[in-house]
Amino acid sequence: VLILVRSPLPRLRALLQRCWGRLERGLWPGVVGGRSPPWGPALAVQGPALLPQAINDAGESSAEAPSLLESVLWMAAPKQRRTIEVNRCRRRHPSKLIEVKRNIDVCPECGNLKQKHVLCGYCYAKVKEETRLIRMEIHKKEGGPFNAPTVETVVLYEGEKPTEKDAGKRIIERARKRPSWFVQN
Amino acid sequence: MRLSVAAAISHGRVYRRLGLSPRSRLDLLRNLVTALVRHERIETPWARADEMRGYAERLIDYAKRGDKDERAMRMADFWLTEKDLIHKLFKVLAPRFQPHPGSYTRLLQIPNRDGLDRAKMAVIELKGNALPPLVRPRRDSDKTLLNQLLKGYRQDAQRAAAT
Repeated sequence: VLILVRSPLPRLRALLQRCWGRLERGLWPGVVGGRSPPWGPALAVQGPALLPQAINDAGESSAEAPSLLESVLWMAAPKQRRTIEVNRCRRRHPSKLIEVKRNIDVCPECGNLKQKHVLCGYCYAKVKEETRLIRMEIHKKEGGPFNAPTVETVVLYEGEKPTEKDAGKRIIERARKRPSWFVQN
Repeated sequence: MRLSVAAAISHGRVYRRLGLSPRSRLDLLRNLVTALVRHERIETPWARADEMRGYAERLIDYAKRGDKDERAMRMADFWLTEKDLIHKLFKVLAPRFQPHPGSYTRLLQIPNRDGLDRAKMAVIELKGNALPPLVRPRRDSDKTLLNQLLKGYRQDAQRAAAT
């Protein structure tokens, strides 16, 4: 609004008023002489709303990092659906498939399957059970903890006599027939 | 300077990292060595058995020096936590392995552990123990091609020598 009044500071006042007018026109371009801007359907543009503070802030902080609302626009997302052919190429690539084991054999003793470099599970379970029973006998003979003998040990089954090789050894007796896979030395 | 990549390289390191700390690793291996000397056959994760094997064999090498040796006695005192096993080591194991130049233990892999971790397990035993054998030595069958050819060659040689 221009004021035609001669005052002691005409130039400064006029300048200020001109600037303020320009500002108002910039903020509300539709406003002319007090009327409201024409309303009508407008394109709904996705973006941050142009707030009155935005122009003030634009000059102050140009080096500010983009706010979360702006950075949401810039996240990686797939552009196209991956076709089933491309998917199959990726899913069935040899590096993704499970390797086929070729080191499985048949145990010659019991006939179960075993890996070539590993002991047969069945035969090992047999031996483990027999060692457990032998250790129970040893425990009964020793009586208590920390009674390790200072002589060798030999295991004898039903009806076996110690030979001259088992001369000074501690004898552990097992009350069963000797198993075929445990050969007496 | 790519410090992160350098931290993951371990070229030439022979000792595995077990337990909570180096001291804990030694304690773990010491327990295993004691158990091996007591029971002569133990079942344990493969990595621990492999680590322990070297220590057990060196302990037996020290024991072969005889129990009058000061270093041997100090080694046995450290490595065997149950002191009745020191007697067993010097009086039973040292004479047993006197004729052998080395390799007093046998390490064999067994099927993976049944628990959730499916750990690679092994059984380590002292040779010459009184327990049932884990693996039966198998001779090649007579029906293989090579053995049949060798058998034929032997028969031809006998026939040539007879005539």
